[in-house]
Amino acid sequence: METKHMQNKPPVNLMGGPGRGRGRGPVMINEKPKQAGKTLKRLIKYIWYSKGLFIALMIVMLIITVLNLAIPAIQGSAIDCLSPAVTGGIVDFDLFLKLLIFLIVLHIANSVSTYLQGIFSAKLSQLTVKKMRSDLFAKIVYLPIKYFDTHRHGDIMSRMTNDVENISNTVSQSISSVISSILTLIGTFIIMLFYSPILTGVSLVSMGLTLLVTKVLTKYMRKFFIRQQVLLGSLNAHAEETITGNKTISAYMLEEKEKDKFNDISDELKKYSIKAQILGGSMGPIMNFISNFGYLLIAAVGGGLAWNGIITIGTIQVFLIYTKQFARPINEIANQFAQIQTAAAGAERVFEIMDTESELQIEGDRVNIRGNISFKNVVFSYNKDEPVIRNFNLEVQAGQKIALVGATGSGKTTIVNLLTGFYDIDDGEILIDGINIKNISKKKLRENIAMVLQDTVLFNDTISKNISYGKDNAKIVDIKNAAHTANADIFIERLPDGYDTELSEGGSNLSQGERQLLSIARAVLKNPQILILDEATSNVDTRTELHIQKAMIKLMSNRTSIIIAHRLSTIRDADLIVVLDKGVIAETGNHDELMKNKGCYYNLYTTQFAGKEI
Amino acid sequence: MGTLKYLKKYWFFAVLAPLCMIGEVFMDLVLPKLMAQIVDEGVLDQNISIIVHTGLRMLGCTALGGIFGVLSGAFTNLAGQNYGNDLRKKLYDKIISLSFEQTDKFTTGSLITRLTNDVTAMQDFINFALRGFARSGFMFVGGIIMLLSLNVEYGKITAIVLPLQLFVIIFFMKKIAPAFMIVQNKLDKVNSVMLENVTGARVVKAYVKEEYEKERFENANDELLDINLHVMKTMAIISPIMMILMNVAVVFIIYIGGLQVLAQNIQVGEIMAAINYITMILNSIMMVNMIFRSITRAKASAERINQVMNTEPVIKDGKGFDDEAKNKKYCIEFENVSFSYRDSKGKPIIDNFNLKIKHGERVAILGATGSGKTSLVNLMPRFYDVTSGSIKVEGIDVRDYKLKELRDKIAVIMQKSELYSGSVSDNIKMGKEDAAKEEVIAAAKIAQADDFITSFENGYETMVTEKGSSLSGGQKQRISIARALIRKPEILIFDDATSALDLATEAKLHKALNSELKGATVIMIVQRVASVLDCDRIVVIDNGTVAADGTHEELLKTSKIYMDIYNSQLQILKKQL
Repeated sequence: METKHMQNKPPVNLMGGPGRGRGRGPVMINEKPKQAGKTLKRLIKYIWYSKGLFIALMIVMLIITVLNLAIPAIQGSAIDCLSPAVTGGIVDFDLFLKLLIFLIVLHIANSVSTYLQGIFSAKLSQLTVKKMRSDLFAKIVYLPIKYFDTHRHGDIMSRMTNDVENISNTVSQSISSVISSILTLIGTFIIMLFYSPILTGVSLVSMGLTLLVTKVLTKYMRKFFIRQQVLLGSLNAHAEETITGNKTISAYMLEEKEKDKFNDISDELKKYSIKAQILGGSMGPIMNFISNFGYLLIAAVGGGLAWNGIITIGTIQVFLIYTKQFARPINEIANQFAQIQTAAAGAERVFEIMDTESELQIEGDRVNIRGNISFKNVVFSYNKDEPVIRNFNLEVQAGQKIALVGATGSGKTTIVNLLTGFYDIDDGEILIDGINIKNISKKKLRENIAMVLQDTVLFNDTISKNISYGKDNAKIVDIKNAAHTANADIFIERLPDGYDTELSEGGSNLSQGERQLLSIARAVLKNPQILILDEATSNVDTRTELHIQKAMIKLMSNRTSIIIAHRLSTIRDADLIVVLDKGVIAETGNHDELMKNKGCYYNLYTTQFAGKEI
Repeated sequence: MGTLKYLKKYWFFAVLAPLCMIGEVFMDLVLPKLMAQIVDEGVLDQNISIIVHTGLRMLGCTALGGIFGVLSGAFTNLAGQNYGNDLRKKLYDKIISLSFEQTDKFTTGSLITRLTNDVTAMQDFINFALRGFARSGFMFVGGIIMLLSLNVEYGKITAIVLPLQLFVIIFFMKKIAPAFMIVQNKLDKVNSVMLENVTGARVVKAYVKEEYEKERFENANDELLDINLHVMKTMAIISPIMMILMNVAVVFIIYIGGLQVLAQNIQVGEIMAAINYITMILNSIMMVNMIFRSITRAKASAERINQVMNTEPVIKDGKGFDDEAKNKKYCIEFENVSFSYRDSKGKPIIDNFNLKIKHGERVAILGATGSGKTSLVNLMPRFYDVTSGSIKVEGIDVRDYKLKELRDKIAVIMQKSELYSGSVSDNIKMGKEDAAKEEVIAAAKIAQADDFITSFENGYETMVTEKGSSLSGGQKQRISIARALIRKPEILIFDDATSALDLATEAKLHKALNSELKGATVIMIVQRVASVLDCDRIVVIDNGTVAADGTHEELLKTSKIYMDIYNSQLQILKKQL
């Protein structure tokens, strides 16, 4: 659903749904079509992954159910031993004691089974949820970049945490109790049928009533439960956004405003939760009423039947006991309903991610990429009506050094997004060594590309692990060499733990420039055929840059390099300079040619340096 | 548990919920009697009117009990959800007011988990306490009274079994309690790997590390699984032990009852009733198990919440000052300022830094990566406080200002632009909430952002995607600049905030700033010498202290470092000339 929805809408409008924007007051949520049955089926499929456990659990529960049905009967017989009406005044104390001992044995068996049931259901729930979390993560890792660019990260997180957590609780508690209830129902039903088919028919009336009410209430309740989970997602998204973007909030003293917004969502969440929970809580009493009504019906009809000699009084007595027993599992199921509803709403959101199309994974040939790149009539737009790249043509020979130049927003970074397959082009083709990149596996493609981006990404791990991110099992010597090449060794060695320094979340304990040096070192170590530098040194001071420059030149030799920089000085010795203007190529050539042409490049160059002496 | 005080406001609901529960329990106690009556007097005696009458009473009681139950549930929810809502809001309020070093310490991932998971755990606890505790409490008391009223002998069995049950519960709970904290911490870890992958997806893909990340996640996931299983397996022992104790007690009741029947002391019906009541009592004790579990969980969550709640923001409003105390001679003065991040060892990042900046001056600050430029910027609007020395704005220590006044005066444009979900216009208006449309456009024009914004189909109303991913780096920076300009600040600080702009655009920006923002003091942290030439003064910092201070021409003559920087940029150029 969501994927389809995405394709039809320009990314600029996509906040995970229309109207969920900031500054539009209380959050509005678009209701999604619900497929409760399908969701439940998929959930069950997950449980079925541990079918051994599930079957074992079923067997144990069957035993428990049989024991639970047998124990009252035996207890009844024991008491009957004492009842003059049954024994005719003679108390068989021996039988009484034997029955009691038998009872204790059954209880022990029951406790052991219950213990096993606890273990099995714990394992089942944890394994199920673990599997689901793993699958979800595996899915997320392969989602196209577009998904992350167009969905609120906090909401994705909420699905992975809150929603999965709810499913876990349900599987561990509700599933066991629902299954045991169903087994009890079946067992009781069989016994009832054995005693009197007519009265069983009567008790079916209340059973039918129960189902009807459940169906109506569920339909009504679902809406609230889904809303509750969606709101929880927005709450998370808002919290994530404002807590990570804390600096701007502080700088502009927007705490009050953000608080108001958070409070609005929180209040809304509260409103729906209360509604959902109260509705869920009313299930039990309603069921209770219906079941007592059934009890009364049996007593009346049974009485009538007995007086007409169709059944015996004893049958009614037994039947009433079982009618009561019949009510308990129904009650239990009703009580679990709110929990199951929450989980189903959550599962729907989880499956929504799982149904999003992954990046296309083609098992391409094991070609060795040499680095010839050609763009042929490439057209691309993030937003259907506004092409960002129009009719883009470019030939790059292996080993060449290409510079993309142009005003901010002219589409330089977009070219990188396309070449790395982060986004797919609308029209035309991109070839690497003559092969359309659509036919090269993304894995193969990216293994041959290293990129250093404007926004650095560092992981909560040691510095050396962060550098060796692109190369598994890199030797420490190689890591140190890479750091040296990137000129990062100086600051790393100043840190108390050197290369073993643990970076805090996102490397927030490093300066922006230091972070860039680390990501350059990472690219150096990867040693790819194609190197992309997208404003890779924008936050590095020029002296440091000069140091790196030599290494960069070395790094760029023998491989195709694409450099994006607004500092024209850093790109002057490129083999080919491509000047972009609003998504089309305005000019190409090397520095000298372009300067002679006195076109865009000349203008850019002179505005930068003319009259500045530099 | 200090967090419980937020329940006070909803005491009315919190009191009503258990009161209604009394009604429900009472009906639960009455119903079996009515049901027995239907059988004994109605069915057995073939009395249809008793069946109908008692039946109607029974249904009435069920309905009444049901209504009490729904009400009790409703009040519980009203109390619990309102409590959770207040707690969540208070906690958010606290988190957002924390100073950066504190947010860094907690990590954002953990703060979010506390705000959601832990608050929900507390709320569940309240729900459970108001209904579950009350129910088992009343059941327990009611059951004991009824049982003892039957025969004091039965009390002996209760007296033996009850302490045993309590002992079992306490013994196992003590064993599990520490594990709950571990569960939350492992959950934190799973969440943080997720967060890294969601926010860092580009790099994960660029380096083809999907499989590696999956493995990393698997590890965290496995650890969580292990600890969860450990807790659940330990818990699984409790129930069966409780059951066996309870059931053996029931068997003994039957046995004792049997002896009494033999001695002709009591009727069989009494044994049945006794079994009912003792089951009720012991069941309510089983609930204690659940209660303990929920208390243990809630305790772990409350502790995590309190850790945040009890953190006082380090940076607080200043005590204020008389306007006359202001000394307008200098706009900003740094006096022997030193600063180091907490926990960092070694040399401070800012070390005995001295600088005076006049009103309306344009000062450029240059320095190597890691020389302390950004730290310097962080000190002026008090994102962090100096370790020693002082920073004065108009002669008053920044620590004496009310934060609002200080930050209204100073606008910082950060290195990393932070955009929020909402429209472009909303993002600019963050600088001035009540800004008119004209003001937004005017600010965007100075920031050189108007051109590209109006080229969007929806112009200023274009929605910004997740963290501005649909915009280029330079576009994001210009929106952040417009956001700062719209407030017409007295002091404007660019922390390398034009790094993604091409020089032509930057030159235009400077020109516009010159003509539109007369009188404002501007501090620019930059890398390019070319972008500092418009400034009145250039300050070079090295190792956290002032290495050179003067105009471009002066520095070229006097400062070796400046010469180096200048040459490094010239060299890059000249090499190819």
